[in-house]
Amino acid sequence: MQIRFHRCLLLLLSPALLLSCYRLSPSSGGGQGATSSNTRIIQPTDIALPAGYRIEAIASGLTFPTSVTTDEQGQVHVLEAGYSYGEVWLPPRLLRIGPAGETTTIATGDKNGPWNGVTFYNGNFYVAEGGELEGGKILRISPDGSLSTLVDNLPSRGDHHTNSPVIGPDGYLYFGQGTATNAAIAGPDNYHYGWLKRYPDFHDIPCADIVLKGQNFESDNPLTEAASDKASTGAYVPFGTATTAGQVVQGQLPCSGAIMRLPVTGGPLELVAWGLRNPYGLAFAQNGTLFVTDNSYDSRGSRPVWGTGDYLWAIEPGRWYGWPDFAGGKPFNGKRFEKPGDKAPAPLLAHHPNQPPAPAATLGVHSSSNGFDFCRNASFGFGGQAFVAQFGDMAPDVGKVMAPVGYKIVRVDVNTGVMSDFAVNKGKKNGPASKLGNGGLERPIAAKFSPDGQALYVVDFGIMKMTKQGPEPQQNTGVVWKITRTAQP
Amino acid sequence: MRAAAQALLVLLVFVLACGTAKRGEPHFAPVPVSEPAIAAGEVVYHAYCQKCHPGGEAGLGPAINNKPAPGMAMRLQIRQGLGSMPAFKKNTISEEEMDHLIAYLKVLRKAKKPATTSN
Repeated sequence: MQIRFHRCLLLLLSPALLLSCYRLSPSSGGGQGATSSNTRIIQPTDIALPAGYRIEAIASGLTFPTSVTTDEQGQVHVLEAGYSYGEVWLPPRLLRIGPAGETTTIATGDKNGPWNGVTFYNGNFYVAEGGELEGGKILRISPDGSLSTLVDNLPSRGDHHTNSPVIGPDGYLYFGQGTATNAAIAGPDNYHYGWLKRYPDFHDIPCADIVLKGQNFESDNPLTEAASDKASTGAYVPFGTATTAGQVVQGQLPCSGAIMRLPVTGGPLELVAWGLRNPYGLAFAQNGTLFVTDNSYDSRGSRPVWGTGDYLWAIEPGRWYGWPDFAGGKPFNGKRFEKPGDKAPAPLLAHHPNQPPAPAATLGVHSSSNGFDFCRNASFGFGGQAFVAQFGDMAPDVGKVMAPVGYKIVRVDVNTGVMSDFAVNKGKKNGPASKLGNGGLERPIAAKFSPDGQALYVVDFGIMKMTKQGPEPQQNTGVVWKITRTAQP
Repeated sequence: MRAAAQALLVLLVFVLACGTAKRGEPHFAPVPVSEPAIAAGEVVYHAYCQKCHPGGEAGLGPAINNKPAPGMAMRLQIRQGLGSMPAFKKNTISEEEMDHLIAYLKVLRKAKKPATTSN
């Protein structure tokens, strides 16, 4: 009887066994493999939307666009990042988009991109300068294009940057600051990104004093020529620096993996929340609560963390959100986050500032859920929901996936964590347009409603291929899309 | 005879896997979640499953919408884990939540009714 039961069980499970061999299957990310074209085809009819909505491209031929805003006349402006993963350096720009899709340059920045977010407030533009070369900044740009710096020397020379300024109901400017590393340990993966060679002493900075457990990670040493040279590296210290149990790392401001704020007129920097990894998108809900999209851990480097979704957090001032020892409010105390075939991550900190909360929503692993906005106009539909742009996976660099993840706009009910696709490419499979061979969405990186809430602007970064050498972003392939509702249900 | 049945099942799985795993809006009619148990299952799904199987499609893990696994097999796999998929024990997903989740998974799998999409 028992043998028959087991045979029956095997038969029932055989489909799953056949089709879920994660370890054996190669990675199939959206940027991997052959793409149909390096040039961008634009065909709005290749994008599926719920009934009663329309999408159109209002600007194209952009190079690495990351953010959109409108001025007091309702004129649409877009940022070009300047810097992109793949170590491409161009001048970052703020452009005005004309009625026929033509662009006018309002301001041009220095070689210190990526410009990762823009908002317009009281007659000026406020821009997050990613700061890959000189450190992050918050810039104020007047309509005539003159630039001034509100804050600089933000710790942005690593994997993640200074992101997405938004103005709060209190009149403060809030922004996100990403971490230097994937999981607090500098390693060869950061050399591959490019920055470890430039800044071998750069590392993560905690926002308050922390006590280390003294874990160190041995890795190859890419900074020396000897192939057999190894380095031992601890948490929150430069590459090749070992730590000891009980070692205290002093907190500082500015710091890594945090939300910070300052008066919009300039003034001292204040900490809002920390323990985040890469808080990329920020938006205030109608009730005044700040929400943040957080790009979660990758399965890479000396301390890979596997299977963590990107998170949408409701921010409570003063709270620590768990990086580098929790994911989505869950501690690293078992094998749940173990990369297959590797060692499970264990806590780095001897004490945790607080128990992290549960996220408002958990988005796809490696989806790179980025810029988002809340629907404030019920006539658009889905009032109060968050519309999140998903850049799409950067597999295999961030870890292996069995199919492309992201490359679309999802809408999220932040009260339940339930989400649905809102704008996504048509076809049997998911992926960027260049992989599917159509003219739809490529890599959406920001979603922003017009001030009247009648239109949703989607910034599409353009084509980024993932090759053995790393990311290969394609210039002049970025698009700004506009989604409007054409019929009420 | 047994081998033939197994081969037929494997063939059936591959045939089904050839179809799209997309379900619900905007490609099809919305997933019907008017029943409270199914709506509750949808919340459980998005808390624990969505991140690896977005909308039931493949992502970090394989697609699940186009697999004909019965409820008992789904329940067993969720409780015990399989391959790289972790196990979700009763202290994570309660028995009642599991019932709701299985009900939702079955509805999601069928949510392929034609719908008028824009564009």
